[in-house]
Amino acid sequence: MVAGQELKQVPDTPAEMAEMLRRASEQKLSVVLRGAGTKLDWGRPSPRVDATLSTRGLYRLIAHQHGDLTATIEAGASLRDVNVALSLHGQWLPLDPSFASEATIGGILATNDSGPLRHRYGTPRDLVIGTEIATADGVLAKSGGQVVKNVAGYDLSKLLAGSFGSLAVIVNATFKLSPLPAASRTLVAAARDAEELAGFVREVMASQLEPIAFEIHVPSFALMLRFASVPAAVDAQAHAAAMMLGATKIFQGDAERALWSQHNERVWTGTGAVVRASWLPANVAAAIGELKSCAATSGVIEIEMLGRATVGSGLVRINGEAKAQARVVEQLRRSASFGNVVLRRGSPELKSLVDVWDGSAERQPLFASLKRALDPQGVLNPGRGPI
Amino acid sequence: MQRTLGVAPRTEDYNRANLMDRAFLDELRQVVGEHGLLQDPLELLTYECDALPHLRESPAAVVLPASASQVQGVVRLCARHGVPFVPRGHGTGLSGGALPVAGGVVIALSRLNRVLDVDIPNQRVTVEPGVTNLEITRQVAPFGFYYAPDPSSQQVCSIGGNVAENSGGAHCLKYGFTVHHVLEVEAVLPDGEIVHFGSTFADTPGPDLLGLLVGSEGTIAIATRITVRILRRPETVQTLLAAFATIDAGGAVVSDIIAAGIIPAAVEMMDALAIRAAEAAVHPNFPDADTVLIVELDGPAAEVTALFDTVVDTCRRHGATTIDVAQTDDHRARIWRGRKAAFAAMGRVSPNYYVQDGVVPRTRLPEVLNRIRTLEQRSGLRIGNVFHAGDGNLHPLICYDERVPGDPEKAVQVAAEILSYCIEAGGSLTGEHGIGADKSSYMPTMFTEDDLAVMQRVRAAFDPKGLCNPGKVFPTPRLCGEVPGPHRAHPVEAAGLAERW
Repeated sequence: MVAGQELKQVPDTPAEMAEMLRRASEQKLSVVLRGAGTKLDWGRPSPRVDATLSTRGLYRLIAHQHGDLTATIEAGASLRDVNVALSLHGQWLPLDPSFASEATIGGILATNDSGPLRHRYGTPRDLVIGTEIATADGVLAKSGGQVVKNVAGYDLSKLLAGSFGSLAVIVNATFKLSPLPAASRTLVAAARDAEELAGFVREVMASQLEPIAFEIHVPSFALMLRFASVPAAVDAQAHAAAMMLGATKIFQGDAERALWSQHNERVWTGTGAVVRASWLPANVAAAIGELKSCAATSGVIEIEMLGRATVGSGLVRINGEAKAQARVVEQLRRSASFGNVVLRRGSPELKSLVDVWDGSAERQPLFASLKRALDPQGVLNPGRGPI
Repeated sequence: MQRTLGVAPRTEDYNRANLMDRAFLDELRQVVGEHGLLQDPLELLTYECDALPHLRESPAAVVLPASASQVQGVVRLCARHGVPFVPRGHGTGLSGGALPVAGGVVIALSRLNRVLDVDIPNQRVTVEPGVTNLEITRQVAPFGFYYAPDPSSQQVCSIGGNVAENSGGAHCLKYGFTVHHVLEVEAVLPDGEIVHFGSTFADTPGPDLLGLLVGSEGTIAIATRITVRILRRPETVQTLLAAFATIDAGGAVVSDIIAAGIIPAAVEMMDALAIRAAEAAVHPNFPDADTVLIVELDGPAAEVTALFDTVVDTCRRHGATTIDVAQTDDHRARIWRGRKAAFAAMGRVSPNYYVQDGVVPRTRLPEVLNRIRTLEQRSGLRIGNVFHAGDGNLHPLICYDERVPGDPEKAVQVAAEILSYCIEAGGSLTGEHGIGADKSSYMPTMFTEDDLAVMQRVRAAFDPKGLCNPGKVFPTPRLCGEVPGPHRAHPVEAAGLAERW
């Protein structure tokens, strides 16, 4: 690699990846990591890019230990390809992050991105049981292992989750898998307003229903519950939920699949900025009220939100002028009803008006210290954040 | 370093304590108060070891802070004076994670035992680290909720210790470990700063520091406040106990259940020796068999009913000699009592025992268990096996008699050999007890020098001076007498003051 001229490198082996990183560190190059490139615009704009390191040369499903419900996968493999392979033994890696049809394992883990399935299965950090990483100075190191239950040593795979490639490069990761459910039903209920929606959420949370996804959408005030299990159980649960929530519609088969792919894509296909934001599940009515107030006072055209009702986490799409969008982001950050408001998609103008990242300053010294420990020359995704 | 049981601490220990800077001790006293500082050698005796009593060390002092700011004050003092410190919960750890450091301070968190907030609408509870695991469930049970991780010691172990060790339990196959249930931890860093790992709201931006902290065995920070999520009690629970003539048959049932796409809430196995011990201790009415398997399913009624039939059929197909389905909650409790008492019950069939908790991929269980049986014959030491079959977590209980010359050493060798089988099978040194001081010397069998060096870089990012629970997790040159070893009575136990159960 030569400084001053952006290079794209596609290493074919972990050792090659490590060697390229070592050379980049030696020359103090600024390196951007890239999988499928679906989330390259997440984070602050990189001030300088000398080289791009692609993980796409590392795309193999290294092992599917179906009897142990685990799989070891190289970082550049796409989630979709992996799940096709795992389905041969009736298993899957139950993640449905943004851009799920293209996103790679490494990118999903590095951003710890997830979707509606998080309600049951958690985020990538909950499913990863081991990783091999390449540090910026070119050391290949494993942590965790191949077994689901394991507390030997530090779990660095958790540390990499959410690091956005700023600490080390994920070379491969081992995940805990789940059996593919035999049957699935999705129930959609439409509430009249935020109060009724909050009441629905409360009722479902207090019940013994066990959905695998539990979503809300605003401004439609829709609630979605997905049940997946043996056929008798999904019918019984969908029926019980319908009794509880009144007028509802139940989807299955192709209609159900279409419903979910539309739901997962709707924020991204719409116009405007997208922020990720969190709220307390029992406080959802106030959170929706805050959005309404943002819409009324900021001058934006529309605000849409969808997310996980019980986790209290979702995406907010803000359509309008950058200055108005910025007012919404600032109001959400000031609001007691929201926390961890992070800009996902935003125009350069919006990014110049508000910081992409949110979060308490008390962790910054730790982040800086970790960065010095694993990437002493500061070559990995510099400036992009969150580190 | 290792002391003969029942003999008073050696004079060197007193001297070492006396050598601790008087001014430092006065400052500690100012932080925690007169009653929060223990220096009397008799009082220190309790803190010499955790539930791995063969590793023991006398600390220079023990402090019992009553608030997070007192913990912070103590840590700041230690940092300023370069004094190592060891956090300690209720001392139930099985890997010597709370083993004191000579000349150091033990920070015992037992007085930080308040339940701070029970938030049923948001399904979470906030407690101080000295609250016991079971107390959380007690707080929320009236509302139909529970805290999922359930280590066998849940009645007495502290939630702070659970966070340090990433404790599991019998139900983690379906419900995960402590790391999956902790939302936020307030902790004191080795330099005395208070930092929040995770936050009240989901998705704290940045690397998952909380995920790193949970399971770091008290080496990067001391938790002072912990928020956990609680779960709704499942609608239905079904439990069965099936007996088999061979361990292979039991293992085949587990494989078939998993292959059928069923994730049981728990799958436990016990072998003949463990069954006999449990029967002698708590009379759970287990059949006299080579192997028993306990399978528990929970969830929505329609799901449990359908899948439970499959489990029963699978047991029959593999030649179960008896299948005992729990008909009542009492019946289920009796089955679990037999399982959870298995460790302590070993005392009924052997004067001493040593327990390990290696992990193997589930599919390699039969092979590894057969190797253990061969080893049993070769070594002449009986080995009881109790294990979480669903996740391949073994608990070999190695029986020996410390009065027989050479026996304790043999037990150590047998344990080491079993761990080597686990590593060869692609498993782990520990599934839930932690590396601690006990197994740090085995870490190079599982990780390369580079792996360990990178982990150490992360440790140093939190604790550059190496003062926070030094000597744990990572291999250091061994000191004299500091060898992994078998169960011995805790000094308090030996003095007849407490009973292991």
